[in-house]
Amino acid sequence: MRSNSNQYGVLAEFANPADLMDAASAVNKAGYKHFDTYSPFPIHGMDDAMGLKESKLGWIVLIHGIIGLLGGIALQVWSMDIAYPLHISGKPYLNFPAFVPVGFAIVILLSAFGAFFGLFALNKLPRLHNPLFNSDRIAKATDDGFFICIEATDPVYSEEKSTAFLKEAGAIHTEIIPK
Amino acid sequence: MSQNTAIVPNNQLVKGNHDFASITKLISDIPQERTPLWWYIAFGISNIVMAVMLAMIAWLIWEGVGVWGLNNPVGWAWDITNFVWWVGIGHAGTLISAILFLFRQGWRTAINRFAESMTIFAVMCAGLFPAIHVGRIWAIYWIFPLPNSMQLWPNFNSPLLWDVFAVFTYLIVSTLFWYVGLIPDLATMRDKVKGTISRLLYGTFALGWTGGNRQWQNYEKSYMILAGLSTPLVLSVHTIVSFDFAVSIIPGWHTTIFPPYFVAGAVFSGFAMVLSLMIITRKLYKLEDIMTVDHIEKMNIIILVTGTIVGFAYAIEFFIAWYGGVEYEKFAFVNRAFGPYAWAYWIMITCNVVSPQFFWVKKFRRNVALTFILSIVINIGMWFERFVIVVTSLAQDFLPSSWGYFSPTYVDVLTYIGTFGLFFTFFLLFLRFLPMVAISEVKGVLPQANPAYYRSNNGKSKTTE
Amino acid sequence: MSMDHHHTTLSDRLTFPEDNKIATGFFAAGILGVVLSLIGLFVNTEQFFYSYLTSFTFIASLVLGALFFVMIQHVTRSSWSVVIRRIPETISFQLLWLGLLFVPILFGMEFLYEWTRPERIATDELTQYKQPYLNIPFFVIRNVIYFTVWGFLGYKLYKNSVAMDLSDDPALDKKQRVLSAPGILLFAFTVAFASFDWLMSMDSHWFSTMFGVYYFAMSFQSILAVVIIIVLYLFRKGLLTKTINNAHIHDLGALLFGFTVFYAYIAFSQFLLIYYANIPEETLWYYYRFEGSWIILAYLFLIGRFVLPFVLLLGKKAKTNYKLLMGVSIWIVILQFLEMFWIVMPILHKGAISFHWLDITLLLAFFGISSGLFFRHFGKHSMIPKNDPLLAESLNKH
Repeated sequence: MRSNSNQYGVLAEFANPADLMDAASAVNKAGYKHFDTYSPFPIHGMDDAMGLKESKLGWIVLIHGIIGLLGGIALQVWSMDIAYPLHISGKPYLNFPAFVPVGFAIVILLSAFGAFFGLFALNKLPRLHNPLFNSDRIAKATDDGFFICIEATDPVYSEEKSTAFLKEAGAIHTEIIPK
Repeated sequence: MSQNTAIVPNNQLVKGNHDFASITKLISDIPQERTPLWWYIAFGISNIVMAVMLAMIAWLIWEGVGVWGLNNPVGWAWDITNFVWWVGIGHAGTLISAILFLFRQGWRTAINRFAESMTIFAVMCAGLFPAIHVGRIWAIYWIFPLPNSMQLWPNFNSPLLWDVFAVFTYLIVSTLFWYVGLIPDLATMRDKVKGTISRLLYGTFALGWTGGNRQWQNYEKSYMILAGLSTPLVLSVHTIVSFDFAVSIIPGWHTTIFPPYFVAGAVFSGFAMVLSLMIITRKLYKLEDIMTVDHIEKMNIIILVTGTIVGFAYAIEFFIAWYGGVEYEKFAFVNRAFGPYAWAYWIMITCNVVSPQFFWVKKFRRNVALTFILSIVINIGMWFERFVIVVTSLAQDFLPSSWGYFSPTYVDVLTYIGTFGLFFTFFLLFLRFLPMVAISEVKGVLPQANPAYYRSNNGKSKTTE
Repeated sequence: MSMDHHHTTLSDRLTFPEDNKIATGFFAAGILGVVLSLIGLFVNTEQFFYSYLTSFTFIASLVLGALFFVMIQHVTRSSWSVVIRRIPETISFQLLWLGLLFVPILFGMEFLYEWTRPERIATDELTQYKQPYLNIPFFVIRNVIYFTVWGFLGYKLYKNSVAMDLSDDPALDKKQRVLSAPGILLFAFTVAFASFDWLMSMDSHWFSTMFGVYYFAMSFQSILAVVIIIVLYLFRKGLLTKTINNAHIHDLGALLFGFTVFYAYIAFSQFLLIYYANIPEETLWYYYRFEGSWIILAYLFLIGRFVLPFVLLLGKKAKTNYKLLMGVSIWIVILQFLEMFWIVMPILHKGAISFHWLDITLLLAFFGISSGLFFRHFGKHSMIPKNDPLLAESLNKH
């Protein structure tokens, strides 16, 4: 293989979400793995077109929720029954109906932390430097541009062939992004 | 087999001939324009009002809660009324951003950012009151389960502590939800602004967002989960607020319908507040294409529904107060309507039950001026509702010899007014520096966002060069 | 993913097959139930009426839930539900007959409602106090009003919808909305007061402002389960498989999940507030229903009607898993019956759960006749509102 060490990848722009989706599907079918599509909003059906697996975030949140549930119960049982039992309004020390509101709040809080920090962990954000931004055009991806970038790390990647492939898939502009 | 009739087109969510770029421009230009003069004036006034609030709080802490008009039977009055009122207002934001999202109501995209911001600032105003009403505010950290030298723990049997957990959780989760929604738009701002410093600031908070589909995938999941978590949370927060009253045995407070009735009331007042703010903002920033009359109409329908639920709860409460045959309960309700606070009660009924009835008529629902007036009227009514609940029950409870009457002092009044300064200070900062409409979401509901648009007959044919 | 809006065709057969004998089967079971129950009426009259009220409030909760389902869809103009709307429409059409089924209860009032017994009125001050509301003539008048309102709404909404099958008159669609908006308001008050009259007043001292909401929450959770059961039954028969897709099923599953949480929220709030304040006039209701083995049912509702469906339906895939949905839905409907049983029966059988064969035969009678009526009407017209202006949008949901 030739050296692509000074390249980040090839970036191709498409006219609209439909063309982007068709191209993403073609890129996926051609066996590329290290590629991504860039758009100003999430496009319905793109995950399937790109052949992405389900997001793992649900599991992260579930684990956080379970920790919150157990922690919330433990906190209340321990402080109300073990650490400093107080007799309040004729209720038992282990007054479970009364533990529901706080337990619930803790489950929600922890799950929300899971959803929030899990999002950043899975997206590898925050990120200080991204070679993708070496392109001037990519800024349009947050406005009205639709892009595919095939990264040079992909085993199937080759500068000429990948560029030609994207052009054939309907790209209106392609460029090589330096690293 | 039958053939189908032609499709009836839904009202377009975005009016005018907008494409992706024009939406970006419409919203992202606002923070880049010169600050308008009215903004400086409004911000100045808000700051002054907030300063008054801070002075009142300082005086309260220095002197003690005696500077409020509280007296022996009435130990809670404006403080808790204001707390419940502000929390309730906040609920509309979460409802719009979370519940309408789960029900896939595309129209929410125009107003969700706006309403979410309102939520956060309203909850800040709300949280202030319980914090300052404790008397010895320097010991406020005792409400948290922190190990301390007395080896005491907070009382988890107390609804007041449930409130602490609920409101804090609500504030944090709302903020996280709001920020997740902001990230793609902050990236848009990063790519649009000219100045180096603003680019650096927007860029920092955008955290390196690229708009890649691998990011969008997790983003959508996260947004969905946060919406799913916020929905029961928002119900639970006002439910727990209602528990503050309803787990007690005070007549007029202890009634089982309180949880859903408080939630409906919260949504009712919150939507009214969103409308008041939105009607001004869309005018000032010329966003009539995005925040359309259709939005106003839909929100008025929700106001009508929740207002009617509130009216339903008033009626059922009154009936059961009689039906239950408990003397004190009966007295509490008759006393509300005909006792010393009858004026407050009838303001409440007029504003909350009578005024929304206008919205049965389509013409009124689409009348912006009337909507604006009624939205203010409803918020006044909802303040009085909380006042009636909190004060009438306390002022005249079981023992006639200890009955009293509550009159606010200037500190009560100025602290409450002052919270508007706090609210609008933050709100104006939000309008000035952040994209006030969720840009990426509005683009997502344009017909052009759907790949199918380009494949059907009326769309453009596939473009290839 | 076909999004061609302009030429959406319905490729399924739209009428329920005539050779399907399910309606006859249900009717036969119902008549068997009626006959056996009539024997029971003479064997144990008191038990008969308690069992009758249990089954009546169970069936009424489903039918009323269906009425609300239809009205809320019209008011919100939701398109997704159009393909399944004929099912709750047909169920709520039964409201016309439900009033007749209520009549027997009027003959058993002295057993069911302590406030009608002369010796009770003579000795109990609170019963005397409640006389202006709790007296037999007013009770009858109120029930006439309830059934008139419901019967009218159920009948009109069904007839308009069916009429639209023949003419695609858009005025009919508008009529449905004009009917539904005030209909919901009427529904709220009538259902609340009906639940007070039928169930709350059995313990004539007891009161809870939440009780109407509690009855509604149970009924709406159950009707969602019933709609899912019917849709999946149709699928099993190979009907509407190309019309109703997984997106519709997913939404039904999500609603069932949501209203499972709503039910738990309402039931728990009512319990917590009464438990916490601990005032004798309120806690007695729960006291009888937690006494002895009755508490087993209370725990069953907590675990079975909230925790279990919550956990099972939490995942995205679960909401389109037919077997799971079918299982959970049937389970919820069974628990709805048991919850009615738990509300009604502890008055008759204090301190211990006690099943009687009349509970089963009357359930068979009500369920058989009600299901028979449903399938008979369902077979008379198209299974979906085929001229609904929002149908195309509903079909294209994905």
